[in-house]
Amino acid sequence: MHIKFNDQLLQLTANCTVAELLIQQQIQPQGLAVAINNTVIAKQQWPQHQLRDNDCVNLFHIVTGG
Amino acid sequence: MLRIADKTFNSRLLLGSGKFASPQLMQQAVAASNCQLVTLALKRLELDKPQDDLLSPLRAMNVQLLPNTSGAKSAKEAVFAAELAREALQTPWLKLEIHPDPRYLMPDPIETLRAAEQLVKLGFVVLPYCSADPVLCKRLQQVGCAAVMPLGAAIGSNQGLQTRAMLEIIIEQATVPVIIDAGLGAPSHASAAMELGASAVLVNTAIASSDNPVAMAHAFALAVEAGHSAFTAGLAHNSSQAIASSPFTDFLAAL
Repeated sequence: MHIKFNDQLLQLTANCTVAELLIQQQIQPQGLAVAINNTVIAKQQWPQHQLRDNDCVNLFHIVTGG
Repeated sequence: MLRIADKTFNSRLLLGSGKFASPQLMQQAVAASNCQLVTLALKRLELDKPQDDLLSPLRAMNVQLLPNTSGAKSAKEAVFAAELAREALQTPWLKLEIHPDPRYLMPDPIETLRAAEQLVKLGFVVLPYCSADPVLCKRLQQVGCAAVMPLGAAIGSNQGLQTRAMLEIIIEQATVPVIIDAGLGAPSHASAAMELGASAVLVNTAIASSDNPVAMAHAFALAVEAGHSAFTAGLAHNSSQAIASSPFTDFLAAL
């Protein structure tokens, strides 16, 4: 299946969870937030939440700011 | 002690973490300021850039992290940003800011009030950056905001308490902490805000853009403490005419 990962097209094997995707892409989970199809996915859901074909996954992280 | 929602703070200075030359300098300024609340922002992750570990040093300093919704141009965007921030930092604390116009970065009062109302219902501890409008601050208070954060002047402008007269009304009417945010360019501005009876001030640019941010962070800490002590002591009244401090006796009349 294919997902859109911060605007990049990414091919994944089936049955991939959000947590697995982050490990695969070597993304540090600290200060990270994930939205799929414009819905924020709670951190506790990452190990269970299965990605689906054509999902649009966006990652956000904490940066400095006033 | 400053009390916001269910937390108490010894320091009445909040520090914005933006615009520092490096994360290390920001952390040193946080330490020098003795502040216990630090604001942070959100950004879309750039996959090809390394991620700095910004959070571990701040968590080690035991400061309350306060993510903001900067970048949001509407209530809808702010609620989305708030949900991202809550997940990213695992905190319901939020500095709500909605400023659609990049030239003056003035907070949109209507969208801010709409977002505040929704976010309080969603369980957020909402600290809204807002115009120095006494009516708006009352409305934000009524919908359940944990504090109000009226501006002294435009963000990053260093112009000080341009809104002074309105801030006095806001402080007089407030039942939640009033945190003067934005525009404070010098420790004297922060001190003046505290002398008015503000609960706290938030400073970023004036410290981060100083030649020596660590020393300036300390200077602001002293000013905030001085201003708050002066407010607590009760400022003496002013007068348009002189009122002698020494006795007018005629002890020199014999000359």
